[in-house]
Amino acid sequence: MVFRKWRMLLWAAAAALNAAGLYMVFFFVPEEVTMGEVQKIFYYHVPSAISSYLLFALAFAFSIIYLWKDEPVWDTLAHACAEVGWVFITVVLVTGPIWGRAAWGKWWVWEPRLTTALVLWLMYTAYFLLRLFSGHDPRTARVAAVMAIVAFFDVPIVHFAIKWWGSIVHPPKVSLEPEMRLTFMVTSAAVLCMAAALTLTRAAIGFAEAEKLAGEAR
Amino acid sequence: MNYWRAVVKIFAKDFREEIRRKENLAAAFFFAFLALVLFYFSVDPTRVDLGQSGAGLLWLVILFAGNLFMGNTFKKETETGTLQALLLAPVDRSAIYIGKFLVNLAFLLILEALILVLAFILLAMPIGGHIGWLAAVWILASAGYAAVGTLLSSLVAQIRGGHLLFPLLAFPVLIPLLIAASSLTQDVMLGHGAADIRWLQLIGLFDTIFLVAPLFLFEYAIEE
Repeated sequence: MVFRKWRMLLWAAAAALNAAGLYMVFFFVPEEVTMGEVQKIFYYHVPSAISSYLLFALAFAFSIIYLWKDEPVWDTLAHACAEVGWVFITVVLVTGPIWGRAAWGKWWVWEPRLTTALVLWLMYTAYFLLRLFSGHDPRTARVAAVMAIVAFFDVPIVHFAIKWWGSIVHPPKVSLEPEMRLTFMVTSAAVLCMAAALTLTRAAIGFAEAEKLAGEAR
Repeated sequence: MNYWRAVVKIFAKDFREEIRRKENLAAAFFFAFLALVLFYFSVDPTRVDLGQSGAGLLWLVILFAGNLFMGNTFKKETETGTLQALLLAPVDRSAIYIGKFLVNLAFLLILEALILVLAFILLAMPIGGHIGWLAAVWILASAGYAAVGTLLSSLVAQIRGGHLLFPLLAFPVLIPLLIAASSLTQDVMLGHGAADIRWLQLIGLFDTIFLVAPLFLFEYAIEE
């Protein structure tokens, strides 16, 4: 299997960092004054958002390389990044309302960052529908790559449109206590490692699938 | 054949064909009419003043009705093999895109003219004095819709049952355009002109990105 060493390493790091991170979130870091313990969701909510944005950026880059080089390996990588990115943006959309319910008193607030995440979720869900509909048609990869590029170009426009549209107040910029910053750094590293491990694992599965299909075609 | 002549030929071919067959346009027009009537029934006219807050509804009707013909931009061509012939023609492939884009834009504008007349007559929306601004905003926003729609319909044309996917792919991408166009339309109807210039800039940016990107992407989108 491809990336075997890297995957093992990343999964081990993700496990260790997550253990440390969870311990710190529950036992080490002080509670935020106004929001109380529910604010602790922040330590996984924000790193998930960062991971998904990074992965979507990678999916965009790999899609471009795929169209340019026309080598299936880039499509598999783009697919893996988009899929894991989608998982993390879903985490953002699930943890957001739980936090929002406590912080703003409402499950859903049409707040710019959360809403941008929602639109991203919609676009990448459509991307997977596109892949689902087209099955293993050889054109799938190219069509999906174009969609990934279109979606990525749209992100900054979506961001500004939603920012100007909503008059809802941004939650105040958080200033973090030293313990909070440390915890946040650990959980960020944990989530990023986990994202990388998942992506490589997904890519390895993708390669195996492609190999099997190629075998059947022969 | 030079580039712009190819664009004009493709535009003329598609425009004439659709005017003769009428099925896509007729469906879109009728749907727009129907949707406006349905929207009107869905709100309580004694409580909601559509003139004050209905601009977004018009844009929803445009998106939904436009999707009826825009999703099929390449459908017949892939079915009859015309696309193959077009791709073999010794002309840059982006010319096909531009031609198709112009056709879609033309049909969108015709559709919008109809929607405006209906909104004026049926919903008493305050349109009369602001036609200049409205035309400017709607033409700009429609260019964005047609640009994205033409590219995405070339994608779904290659997939069996893909026409179902068109709105699912296009609408999320069009969200910023919908927000901007609705806000501007509302401003204009309330007599503020384009009160917030940022919306015009946003639409301009959207148009630029999605008119330039397909010039490179389209070639890959329809490659055989």
